Amino acid sequence: MQTRKKFMRTALALTTGTILFAPIHLSAMDASDAPESVTIDSMAKLYAPVEFDHLMHTEYASCEECHHHTTGVQVADPNCLRCHANTPEADEVSCVGCHAADRFDDKYLATLDDPTIYHIDKPGLKGAYHLNCIGCHVIIDGPTGCQDCHAMTEAGEKRFNTGKHAPAGGNTSGAHH
Amino acid sequence: MRLFSKDRPEIPIVNHTKEDGSAWTIKEKLLLGLSVTEYKKQFFRNPVNWFMIMIFAIGVPLILGRYAFGLGWVTHASNDYPWGLFLGFGLFGMVPLSASGFMLGTTVELFGRKDFHSIERLALLNGLLGYFFAVLFLEIDLGMPWRLPYPMFVSLGPAAVLFLVAWHVATYLSVQVAEVLPALFEWMGWLKGKRIIRKYVLGLTVAGIILSTLHQGALGALFTYAPAKVHPLWLSTNFQWLHFFVSSIFGGLSMVIIASTLIKNFMGWRCDEEFKANLDYVTVGMAKGASLAMITYLVIKLVAVAHDQEWTYLLTGWGSYYMLELGVAVVLPMFMFAFGVRNNWVTLIRFGAFIAAIGIIWNRLNTSLVCYNWQMYQEIPHWKEVWITVTIYALYFLTYRFIVYRLPIVYEWKGER
Amino acid sequence: MKKLNRRSFIKGGLATTAAAAVLKETKSEASGDFDNYPEGMGVIVDLTRCVGCRSCEAACNKEQGLPEPAVPFDDFSVFDIIHHGEKRRTDETAYTIVNRYDPPEIDHPLFRKIQCNHCNEPACLTSCFVNAYTKTPEGAVIYNASVCVGCRTCMIACPFYIPTFKYSSAFTPRIMKCIFCYDTRLKNGKPPACVEACPQEALTFGKRRDVLKIGKQRIRETPGKYVDHIYGEHEVGGTAWMYLSSVPFDKVGFDTHVPKEPIINSVKEFLAMVPMVLTIWPGLFVGFHLLATRKDKIQELEKEKELRKLKENDEKEEQV
Repeated sequence: MQTRKKFMRTALALTTGTILFAPIHLSAMDASDAPESVTIDSMAKLYAPVEFDHLMHTEYASCEECHHHTTGVQVADPNCLRCHANTPEADEVSCVGCHAADRFDDKYLATLDDPTIYHIDKPGLKGAYHLNCIGCHVIIDGPTGCQDCHAMTEAGEKRFNTGKHAPAGGNTSGAHH
Repeated sequence: MRLFSKDRPEIPIVNHTKEDGSAWTIKEKLLLGLSVTEYKKQFFRNPVNWFMIMIFAIGVPLILGRYAFGLGWVTHASNDYPWGLFLGFGLFGMVPLSASGFMLGTTVELFGRKDFHSIERLALLNGLLGYFFAVLFLEIDLGMPWRLPYPMFVSLGPAAVLFLVAWHVATYLSVQVAEVLPALFEWMGWLKGKRIIRKYVLGLTVAGIILSTLHQGALGALFTYAPAKVHPLWLSTNFQWLHFFVSSIFGGLSMVIIASTLIKNFMGWRCDEEFKANLDYVTVGMAKGASLAMITYLVIKLVAVAHDQEWTYLLTGWGSYYMLELGVAVVLPMFMFAFGVRNNWVTLIRFGAFIAAIGIIWNRLNTSLVCYNWQMYQEIPHWKEVWITVTIYALYFLTYRFIVYRLPIVYEWKGER
Repeated sequence: MKKLNRRSFIKGGLATTAAAAVLKETKSEASGDFDNYPEGMGVIVDLTRCVGCRSCEAACNKEQGLPEPAVPFDDFSVFDIIHHGEKRRTDETAYTIVNRYDPPEIDHPLFRKIQCNHCNEPACLTSCFVNAYTKTPEGAVIYNASVCVGCRTCMIACPFYIPTFKYSSAFTPRIMKCIFCYDTRLKNGKPPACVEACPQEALTFGKRRDVLKIGKQRIRETPGKYVDHIYGEHEVGGTAWMYLSSVPFDKVGFDTHVPKEPIINSVKEFLAMVPMVLTIWPGLFVGFHLLATRKDKIQELEKEKELRKLKENDEKEEQV
């Protein structure tokens, strides 16, 4: 129903110092404060970095659809307010600020076990991107294939036994017998 | 009766000495007292042997291929049906049909029914060979047949049902070897060995009952590991071991009736008068025992259906198949046995035994193959798998015949005993 | 407690069996050790997140050094493969498989990843008579090829049709199955390769008790999105890998008829009977023997008596 506005919450990654938004206390931000484009390359290995056209995506979605409450807008949900009325977490803009790039780090996994932590189901950075992008793209009919967004690298072709590394035989039967 | 040679009264061999007083050598005994040429001649005269040669001509290369290229070369290599004919027929079918050893051992040695003495050795041999060939089938089927002793000596998993099967089949096989050895010792003329074993007969027989009860049952219990795979009508987690154990009783008895019938008809020259004179009597006796086991079996089958509340399954196609199995494989031969016993109609009993034995195999194949994965597709064994199974069974037949031809199984040794 | 009692009982019973069979003590801790490991790791698979990209299949293939696939891992035509009316399954070349399902009640396909579920009380382990399987404290069910005989009972016992056999090999056949990347990753606290490769985080890795909590939280916080069931929480006594789905599980290829208790529980009727047969049978049948042959014995005694009498009479006569 909000097709026009829905958008990839994903991409403001700014991991590798492309752009660094320090957790600063701003009263509010809007699309003009954001960079026109962001290169998402922090995890690029099997796929080439993504050149994310931030400006274009702002036409499809409002900031908080991707950035939740983090663009300086006061949190509205009373349930969230119980903890985040005035906490630094709410000012975090960059994706990686909250969504761990190393989702499987021991320390991170240990937090799952901490009974005082509510957000035990927070996706890692890669999950956050893909869940956001693909989730919205499916709805608004955006591109959803892997290589629609990022081209496969040589390492990727090796991993997927495709392209240069495609199997020689090529008979289509991955099953038993 | 067909003798090997009309003008040589000393054969078939029943004694250590020839007519002229000299002793038979082991080689002569092995050749049944014939010369090599004579032996060959009679061998190739027999059409059954030609049939066997045909089976082996293709079967032996297939077996070699199985060891050279792996199980996948002779079977469908199915991950859905890990057990095929080698175990479905060879292990689950052969073992119940070999329960005869402990059945007649118990009857004669334990219950003191000396009137069944004339059939005891045949029953023991039938048991021994059945088990031996079940192990041979296992050696075809195991991925790593050279590791057969692993569950005994290398890595033990004593909480598994198969651990119990392995131990019990192995021990019981030894017990049966010991029980059949006296026949070999008589034939070889080594009486000391026979006397030693004689001392332990009671112990061996009791061990036989325990081991048989447990491993016949355990073969059934193996399927209780697959409560979601075997059709509920063929699997009762509570009674499965009883189903397998009780059906092995009439399975083993039927198999002895079949073997003795074949021997009487095609190996009359080998039987002595006592065996022939007693055969009808013991056949009727065994049929009586078998029919009692069958009615017990039917009751436990019924109890299982009632216990697991499976009545609605009986109304499905599977239910009809289940009724067909019970009707043809159990109820029909049971009535043939009962009628035969009452009217002393031995031929009817013999036909009944044939049906009952096939019926046991049918039941085991149903449990392990047909009604296994009943919600999935039906696995049809590869032709090579079928051929190898037939080949091993043919080898069983030949070994059986080879021994009965020679050792005092259906005749009494006339030399010192 | 109840569990422990049953286990030690079964173990004791069978050990006795072995002992009786060979008349020697077989002391083996073997496969009897079923304690649940509270710190064991687990994965929750969220079917609503999986997009069928097959990255997990590719990652598994490389991590486990499995043979080159017949078709590339980015070839999605494999979802249409049907063999004997069944979708793709694990085999000696693939420890994990993703299949597509098109349940009529929703307008998009769902994808389901299969691999070993790493049961708390694995049927493969309890059915193995050479103790080739181990449930590690980290939660993995691993396999030791060096003792395996190749009987394939584990394949019969596994309710999820996971273990497969390397039928193609004549000299080094073995069971091929997912081991939670135990050797290379899990042991060192790292997630299995498939989990790490998943772009959608459809696979959530953590301690089993934690990912179970996550699953329950998802069901509670997004009403209507999921069916209210976590497959694997209780199935066959609980599994380390569990599933969330938006449609009933039987619509996406799950066997919803597997027992809710460990598979070994259906075997215990038989196992309980074993020690009884072992202890009662010998006495019972020797008793039968004595009863059945008592007439002969009596006759023998009578004869002896008569003989003695005759002798005595003879002696008397002689004395006279």
